[in-house]
Amino acid sequence: MTRYAAIKLAEALAVMLAVSFLVYLVLEANARDVAVKVLGQFSTEPQRDLWLAENGYNQPFIVRYLRWLWNFVRGDWGVSSHYREPVAVMLPPRLLRTGILAGLALLVMVPASFVLGILAGMREGTRTDRAISFASVVTTSVPEFASAVFLSAIFVFWLGWLPGASTTPGFAWEEVVLPVLVLALYATGYLARITRASMAEVMMQPYVRTALMKGASPARIVFRHALRNALVAPITVIMLQIPWLLSGVIVVEVYFAYKGFGTLLYEASLNGDVALIEACAMVSVLVIVVTQLASDVLYTLLNPRISFARRPDGAA
Amino acid sequence: MFNFTTLTGGKPHPEVPALAEQFRGGQIDRREFLRTVAWLGVTAASAAAFAGVAPGAALAEEPKMGGVLRIAVAVQEITDPALVSWVEGSNLLRNVVEFLTKVDADNITHPFLAKSWEPSEDLKVWTFQLQPNVKWSNGDAFTTEDVVFNIKRWTDANSKSSNKSSFAAITSVDVKDTLTFSITLNRAILSIPEMFYAYTCPILHRDFDKVGAPWPKNPVGTGPYALAEYGVGQKAIFKRREGYWGKKPYLDEVRYIDLGSEISAHIAALAAGQVDFIARITANDIELVKKLPKVQLLTAHAASTVCIRMQTDQKPFDDIRVRRAVLLAADNAQMVKLAYRDLGVVGENHHVAPFQPEYFKLPAVARDVAGAKALLAEAGYKDGIDLTLVLGNTQGRWEQDTAQVLQQNCAEAGIRVKLNVLPATEYWPIWNKAPFALTFWVHRPLAVMTLDLAYRSTAAWNEAHFKSPEFDAALDKAMAIVDPKQRALAMQAVEKIVQDAAIMVQPFWADKFTAASTRVQGLRLHPSDYHDLTTVHLA
Repeated sequence: MTRYAAIKLAEALAVMLAVSFLVYLVLEANARDVAVKVLGQFSTEPQRDLWLAENGYNQPFIVRYLRWLWNFVRGDWGVSSHYREPVAVMLPPRLLRTGILAGLALLVMVPASFVLGILAGMREGTRTDRAISFASVVTTSVPEFASAVFLSAIFVFWLGWLPGASTTPGFAWEEVVLPVLVLALYATGYLARITRASMAEVMMQPYVRTALMKGASPARIVFRHALRNALVAPITVIMLQIPWLLSGVIVVEVYFAYKGFGTLLYEASLNGDVALIEACAMVSVLVIVVTQLASDVLYTLLNPRISFARRPDGAA
Repeated sequence: MFNFTTLTGGKPHPEVPALAEQFRGGQIDRREFLRTVAWLGVTAASAAAFAGVAPGAALAEEPKMGGVLRIAVAVQEITDPALVSWVEGSNLLRNVVEFLTKVDADNITHPFLAKSWEPSEDLKVWTFQLQPNVKWSNGDAFTTEDVVFNIKRWTDANSKSSNKSSFAAITSVDVKDTLTFSITLNRAILSIPEMFYAYTCPILHRDFDKVGAPWPKNPVGTGPYALAEYGVGQKAIFKRREGYWGKKPYLDEVRYIDLGSEISAHIAALAAGQVDFIARITANDIELVKKLPKVQLLTAHAASTVCIRMQTDQKPFDDIRVRRAVLLAADNAQMVKLAYRDLGVVGENHHVAPFQPEYFKLPAVARDVAGAKALLAEAGYKDGIDLTLVLGNTQGRWEQDTAQVLQQNCAEAGIRVKLNVLPATEYWPIWNKAPFALTFWVHRPLAVMTLDLAYRSTAAWNEAHFKSPEFDAALDKAMAIVDPKQRALAMQAVEKIVQDAAIMVQPFWADKFTAASTRVQGLRLHPSDYHDLTTVHLA
């Protein structure tokens, strides 16, 4: 177990190191471009030269990379050229806000899709199954940028029930309704389809039939025998949804002016805000790596047949 | 068409029908309409009859005091007001700090902190008289000491402000008394009063550097509002203060809310009544804004444009016949129509706008595809020519749309244009390096200010590498004439040299538009996007 965790951790670190190098290479290989991005297009050549010298950009690329990496590890993430604020100060509140949005979306999405998926998968081919499957396919095939427009056309421009953008610096319930709805609408259908397929497969298993013949109630069959096995696939999908929620919320956050991590990354890319893009990219990688580790752990809890590092000699 | 009667009994001023149209469309309010047509000599009775009010009633309607104006705008860090690099930032500052002069939406310069000014005959010595009785928000009196502090600060050897190059011609600042000072220049510049309204020129308190940046921690000003709260990326709140020297503004509070860069979010917030005024919209949003209830569309002509310029020292553009062929093939009217929904004024390839004060109307040059082909053949490109146009959509997708129309225009003349579209941030590093590129130029109140920056042989921003001693001389001549009407005559030569040199297709002048709630009155869109909120009141 410890050995397995150590290997996984080493892998994660290697991935992060590789990504950090690529990110740095793409953004900072051309030092002069960085100077233009930081100082603006109307800066003069002498100003740029001065800036490059002041910030150590005249050194070889690899030296710059290592210095940047060392600073990054120590928590010195540089200063955003656009907001003129330390990146390490800007990121946590943004991550928190996205965390709230993603958490709420998961809170709506997971129960809804499990209920729908189980209802549909319990009795394959019934009218309930058809209706749920149809609705799931429809909502999944509408991308967020389209559903954001539809939903705000209805609730903001036509009915006037909900605010069209996030204007409160803190948190306001009515302002997250639409973003959460858009996020949940897209992913619920997909997750419900996965749950349904998984559930339907488990319901065909001999042990379910045995339970049925023993005279177990449908509730007992579903909750006691089928559910745990049926959840392996949906859990994988949810684990994949978390990184997606963190970075993929860009569309939704930007559309509703919700000040989270997605908007920050988007604005940073638009403004060529090098330090901010680097930090956002690293945070994204971190989240992906951590959720992958978490999903590996969750598997073993759900399915004892998958276990950590089964060695040929049987030692763990 | 309604028949307006004038004070003289003659035909109404040509602007009157346009104003009537704007009033009907809700772009200007009744008060503004009546006041403006009155200046233009329309009788009050006939204007009031058109506006549907009894004479006198509209004038008796005093704007309501009070209320909070909420504006959607990017709230970024402001370190030093002289270093602000974004116009929106200067609009936040404008509530607290003021300028020596004020350029209005019609490009006319008015007194502000300076009560009057007088240039010497050779335009090299300018004497300014300051407004008396101006008090800083900390109680100090506003004097020439403050002004000298600012000018010295801008032009100091260590200054990082863009004002340093703008005012490089200043050789000395001399104080006559507490309210009179003069500046001496090493060359004649007539736009000095306009230049003092550049957004990097707010007048700071003489002790600003003792407390120092960032500005939100040190917001002493002469303006009507005081900074109450400042959160980067969040909001900025300004509250009206007592003891302001000028006319008391109507609004109690101005609140700026950062809604990110996605304009659809701004429009949704406006539609939902979460904000009253949004800083900017694009041509593509106009149809939606027009349909929204309780929202007014504000428009203004602006001398902002795109220059599709060719570097005169790079192959194949070193041959003037190639450049002329591109200009002859280009259909400027079609570009504004298709790429900018006809919301602009056709350009004449010389970077002087018809609505700028010194514009001189040159004879129109007709499109001539056959002529373009003939020129190309003469230059040795019988089978046409392949060109690559670089652009960066720095202001939005319409730049690319414009380039695509040009591409089609050129194809007719056998000029095969390949578009190389870069992200905006990739474009700026090479904007003055690519031989054939499309660059956006912002509005400036006087055309000579732009020409001086962009086409003088020695100009740092001369992206077309245009070198013409005749042009420099003609520009010098025009820049030394104070009277705009007289200057327009001298501009004939300037415009003609640029147009004949065929250094760029300058297809159109892009209008500015934005949207506000119908509650917001007395707001005029400024071509430089400078907001003047002192006249704004809420219905």
